[in-house]
Amino acid sequence: MNVYKYASPSTFYPLAGKMVPWFAIPAAILFLAGLYVGFFVAPTDAQQGDAYRIIFIHVPAAWMGMLLYVLMALYAGIGWAFNARLSSMMASSIAPTGALFTFISLVTGALWGKPTWGTYWVWDARMTSTLILLFLYIGFISLQASIDDTRRADRAGAVLALVGVINVPIIYFSVQWWNTLHQGATIRILDKPTIVPKMLAAMLIMLAACWVYSVAVVLIRLRCTIIEREQNAARLAEAT
Amino acid sequence: MDWSMGGYGFYVWGSYLCSFVVIGLEVFTLVKRKRACAHQSKEDRPKSSHSPQTGVPRLVDNRN
Repeated sequence: MNVYKYASPSTFYPLAGKMVPWFAIPAAILFLAGLYVGFFVAPTDAQQGDAYRIIFIHVPAAWMGMLLYVLMALYAGIGWAFNARLSSMMASSIAPTGALFTFISLVTGALWGKPTWGTYWVWDARMTSTLILLFLYIGFISLQASIDDTRRADRAGAVLALVGVINVPIIYFSVQWWNTLHQGATIRILDKPTIVPKMLAAMLIMLAACWVYSVAVVLIRLRCTIIEREQNAARLAEAT
Repeated sequence: MDWSMGGYGFYVWGSYLCSFVVIGLEVFTLVKRKRACAHQSKEDRPKSSHSPQTGVPRLVDNRN
């Protein structure tokens, strides 16, 4: 089987359509399971009480915001370097979902900050760099929307996405590099997690839910983008 | 489960409500866009421009 044929938008379009239900249905199931474990199985935190339950949506949303940005920059870079249309379309399709998760992480972080820190917002390194991430997403979407020529829009977006990717490690390490109000990482790749297994399970289920949800919506958006660009190209061909 | 979340109900439920409203809005706008695409595709393109195997529109390569 030649997998490279799926690098073409026209061949990937039907495949994406077939893939959507395989991600959309598990997303709904995982969201329900994650909420159940988070609210009914995970115990109340000794220090923060039930306010900590915001973690089950806040942390997965924050991770998704960063991960989707890296993916978006990667696809945009591949699209730019190899003139691969599907990669550029994929980057455009990822951006709104990444912005959505970054927005959710900021709002839920603010709502968690009030009962634990006594304030909705402080200009500390973690929160400020996450806000910059949201602005980068908005900038990417706006830049692409403001340029009529899709090839130029893809190139301009790729430059912005690749430059902005430097913000992701800044967000991740901000709690170590600077003295921030935001707490340090609860889960580290190499260390044992500092969280009760039931709480960790709820968080990981919600993370999985956010992942499969993202794949489903990105694929649907990608299919729309393929159709829209095809129509624009056809109109341009007719006009010239 | 304590529905008042130990007095933090506004913050906890507010977080989840806000999150799922935003996710719901994304799904809603995406479904609308998908329908508009399907509708526009039907209006714009003659039957022959669709692939006989998959029924999807044939793509025009707008890159040189």
